Amino acid sequence: MELWIIYTKLVVVLFLAVSYAHANVDNLPNIVFCLLLYISMNSILYVFSKERIRQGILLGSVILICLSFYDVNPLLILLLPINFYELASPFIKVKWALLALGLIPVFYLPEAEYLYGLVSAFSFVLFTMATRYSEKMMMYEDKLDKMRHDIQRLTASLNENQEYIKQSEYTNRLEERNRISQQIHDSIGHSMTGALIQMEAAKSLLSLDTEKAKELMQNAIAISKQGIEDIRITLKNMKPPTEQMGVQRLKLILEEFSVKHRIKVPFVYKGNMDMITPIQWKIITENVTEALTNALKYSRATEISIEIHVLNRMVKAEVKDNGKGAQRVVKGLGIMGMEERTASVNGTVIVDGTNGFSVTTLLPMG
Amino acid sequence: MNVLEINNLTKKFGDFIAVDNMSLTIKEGEIFGFLGSNGAGKSTTINMIAGLLRSNEGEIKILGKNIASQSKFAKRNIGIVPQDLAIYEDLTAYENVRFFAGLYGLRGTELKDRVEEALKFVGLLDKQKSLPKNFSGGMKRRLNIACAIAHKPKLIIMDEPTVGIDPQSRNYILNSVRQLNEMGCTVIYTSHYMEEVEEICTRIAIVDHGKVIAEGTKEQLKAIITDTKDIWVDVKSNDSLEESAIKEINGVNTVQVEENVVKINSQAEVSNLNKIIQYFINRNIEIRSLKEQAPNLETVFLTLTGRNLRD
Repeated sequence: MELWIIYTKLVVVLFLAVSYAHANVDNLPNIVFCLLLYISMNSILYVFSKERIRQGILLGSVILICLSFYDVNPLLILLLPINFYELASPFIKVKWALLALGLIPVFYLPEAEYLYGLVSAFSFVLFTMATRYSEKMMMYEDKLDKMRHDIQRLTASLNENQEYIKQSEYTNRLEERNRISQQIHDSIGHSMTGALIQMEAAKSLLSLDTEKAKELMQNAIAISKQGIEDIRITLKNMKPPTEQMGVQRLKLILEEFSVKHRIKVPFVYKGNMDMITPIQWKIITENVTEALTNALKYSRATEISIEIHVLNRMVKAEVKDNGKGAQRVVKGLGIMGMEERTASVNGTVIVDGTNGFSVTTLLPMG
Repeated sequence: MNVLEINNLTKKFGDFIAVDNMSLTIKEGEIFGFLGSNGAGKSTTINMIAGLLRSNEGEIKILGKNIASQSKFAKRNIGIVPQDLAIYEDLTAYENVRFFAGLYGLRGTELKDRVEEALKFVGLLDKQKSLPKNFSGGMKRRLNIACAIAHKPKLIIMDEPTVGIDPQSRNYILNSVRQLNEMGCTVIYTSHYMEEVEEICTRIAIVDHGKVIAEGTKEQLKAIITDTKDIWVDVKSNDSLEESAIKEINGVNTVQVEENVVKINSQAEVSNLNKIIQYFINRNIEIRSLKEQAPNLETVFLTLTGRNLRD
């Protein structure tokens, strides 16, 4: 925008210079002085960033032009319009009024009124174009900023979720390994040791008491058979208990909460919990915890009930208290956070305060 | 083509959020139902579509054009039947319709023809000279509809048009909604009467606390809750009953016999009631009563929100 205005000023100054060069005026030094003063004032403008100072300089420039119009050379008035528009545009919002005001001096000019009108209109067109483009530019920049911000936020939440998935996979693996080693230690390990002892005994008895040795061998065989069966069962039960983990973890949190704050927190779950994915568990757990804290802070409830219901194509997690509720729900950061989290998996949060206070998280499945 | 497109619409009254980041698209030829309890934000949304309220955030497009920048175009293509009657009691039925049609710029013979057409459509042509003060509630509603459709809008919005009227007028209105739809109008229909919405709407959005919590055909909405239905058959005796044979019937998942009641769980979308009854008849088992429990929109709403549509 500034560049456009500078060009306009330059064009006008050049025009003046050329016309003076052709016209042979008598007080040339004074004119040159005025022009130089004008140029320096209009260049120094861009040094300052404060709006007040800029307006002051512009006003000075306008006064300079008026003075030189009266005392030095009337043609210098041609510099006025662009300075005037620059000065007045923050105060006059209607563009046509600006143009009209800029054109007023036409009626008081003794000579060259057409020239003045032309320059004034020309400056006006350039000035409005410049302002419009810069406004547009500003808008686009704003938009771009917003989008950049959004992308940043989304990437952050994506990373967080990926991190969580990775972590929960790792925990799953760890827990599974623990479970298997426990199982092997508890049953298979014991039976193998038992079988080994029996076989060792049979080996020492083989030459002394064949009957006894045979019996011991039979025992060892039975124990080994049992061991193989145990291995089979262990392998069969290998499916990781993710779904149980979700429920267990939530139960643990609720129990802790209940004990710590001495409040009843009944928990019910219905439907096939296997259908809930780890990421959904994360969101449900976080929303439930948040809602519990809110209920504790505001509701004066004596009981906060939690229900997780796996429907055919949706999971519903409801936290409902028997407190005073709210006729009009005002969204704070907590609720907005829940909404944002939930929206990341295309879910919705319903907050209702008509009968106690309830926060319902709905997550689509499949 | 999208007749209506709503993107991230939000309306606040003070710090109360009436419509909360709502997004919707309605395609040409749909009868779109807005289902929600009182105060869910249905009327606020409609008032914004009609241009009576300004949104805080988001945009609304009618036939692809933003209503903020092209409000005249939008208004000309919308007909609105408001929840509260908007007719002049001291003007005749004819004058009422003529007045509203005139507001949309209709003039001369065209105006006359359209007014008569609209009155005929709602069945009030023979009452055109009467004053609405002498009308029943249902007739007033119908006159209200005539006022909204005389300028032949592409999109007709009906905000609870059946509140407080007799069953006959109700049926008349529901039929006229279907007729308007067949004539090429897209209709938005709001109600908290689940039966009406289920009966006439091709697609439904369940709205609660200013949010769309579920959207789709009524079958899709019901499938959110469950894709099975229960059929309970009360029989005189279950002596010659074979559970495995019932299980063979297409769609049946499980069969349980508890004393004289045969409890059949079946896939909801398979219509197998005839075959099941046929089975009992073939075996000469007397049916004393039969009950089918399939989810309806009321149960969908109740399950998702934990509240009833009408409190």
